[in-house]
Amino acid sequence: MARILPFIVDPHRETRDLMPWLITGRLEAEEKARVEAHLAACEECSRELAGERALAGDVAELPIATGIGWAAMRDRLDTAARQAAFVPASPLMRRRFTARRIGTMLAAQAALLAAAVTITLRVETPMTPYHALGSAPVAMGGNAIIIFRPDAHERDISRLLKENNARLVDGPTAASAYVLYIPTATRIHALDRLRGDASVVLAEPLDTAALR
Amino acid sequence: MSDGIVAHRQTGEVGQAATPEDLRLFAGVRARELGAFEALYRLYHPRLARFLLNLLHRPQLVEEVLNDTLFVVWERSDTFRGASKLSTWIFAIAYRKAMKALRRLDEPVEDQDADMRPSDGDAPDAPFGRHRAQEALLAALAKLSPDHRTVVDLTYFHEMGYREIAAIMDCPVDTVKTRMFHARRHLRRLMDGELTDWL
Repeated sequence: MARILPFIVDPHRETRDLMPWLITGRLEAEEKARVEAHLAACEECSRELAGERALAGDVAELPIATGIGWAAMRDRLDTAARQAAFVPASPLMRRRFTARRIGTMLAAQAALLAAAVTITLRVETPMTPYHALGSAPVAMGGNAIIIFRPDAHERDISRLLKENNARLVDGPTAASAYVLYIPTATRIHALDRLRGDASVVLAEPLDTAALR
Repeated sequence: MSDGIVAHRQTGEVGQAATPEDLRLFAGVRARELGAFEALYRLYHPRLARFLLNLLHRPQLVEEVLNDTLFVVWERSDTFRGASKLSTWIFAIAYRKAMKALRRLDEPVEDQDADMRPSDGDAPDAPFGRHRAQEALLAALAKLSPDHRTVVDLTYFHEMGYREIAAIMDCPVDTVKTRMFHARRHLRRLMDGELTDWL
C-alpha cells in the first residue's frame, strides 16, 4: 500500500500566493495564522505586503461608471410575457382558437423578421468604443421595428412618427423595415397605436437581448 | 433607475452577498413576484455592472450580458440548489455569459493602444495625483487578460475568497492563486512609479 507523503508547503510561496486574501480578510483561520507567522519573520514578504495593500486599495477605489438600468430588463420581461401569451395552453385550446393560432404564426413571423433585422444591424453597426471615466453616455440605439404599407404616403409616415414621438434610427432594410427609437416609457402604447394605423403592416419592440 | 451610477465598494457589504435580504428577495423571485425581482435586480446591478464592465470593456455589451444574466436568474431560479452562495451562482452565470460574448466577438479584448491615446480627462493644468494614478491603473488593468482582470476585481473590489472565485470561474483554486499572482506582478510592473504616488 502506498504511503502518503506529507506535502511540504513553501511558506514563502504560500504567503506570496495568499497575500491578497489576507488583505481582504478572506483567509481561513489556519491559513491566516501560517501566513502571519511567516510575515513576522520575513522582511521581504512584509515589504511586498505593504505594496500589495496599496494596490488592493487602489483597485477597490476605482470608480467604474455604469449607465444602464431596470427599464431595459422590464421591456424584456414584457416582450417575453407577450410572446408567451401567444402560445395556446393545450391541444384542445389550439383546435378551438384557430384565430389565436394565426396570431402565433404572425408573431413568429414578426419575431423572425425582427431577429433577421437585428442580426443585420449587429453586423453592420461598429462596436461602440470603450469610454473612459467622464466620457459622454453612449447614444441610444433603436428599440422598435416598423414596416409601412408599400403605398403609404410620406406625409402619413411623418405624421405617425411625430404623433408617437418616434425617431427613425435606421433603414430601410432589405425587407423595407425601419428601425425606430421610441422613449421607453411610451413605447408599448405608441406601438399599439402604430399597429392600429392603416399605413402600418408591422410594428414590434426590438430588443437584441430579448430575441436570443 | 440606476443610470449614471458609479459602483463604489462598501466594505463589509460587498463580497458577503448571501445576506438574508438576498435570500428573501430570491424566495420572491421563485414565487414569480416581479417586485422581488426588481429589488434583486437593483441590489445586484451595480456590482454586476462593475464586474462586467471591468471584464468586457464595452458598455453596450455589458447591458446585454447583465440582462442576460439576470433574465436567467428570473427564468431558471429553480436551478439554484443552495450549494453555493446566491452571489456565487449569479456571478458564475455572469462570467459564463461574458466569456461567451467575448468569444462571439472573436477579436482581441485588450486595448493595446490605451497608453498611446490622448486622455480625455486631464486638462494640462489639472493637478496630478489621485486621478492620474487611477487612470494609469485603469490602463494597466486594460492590458491584462480578461481572466486575470476578473480575478483581481473579484478579489479586491468584490472581496471574494479564492474558493468562491474558483467556483465562479469554474477552475481549480490553484489556478485562481496563479492568475492572481501573475496579474499582481503585471500590474505592479505596469504601475511602476504611479502606484499610490498620491498617498
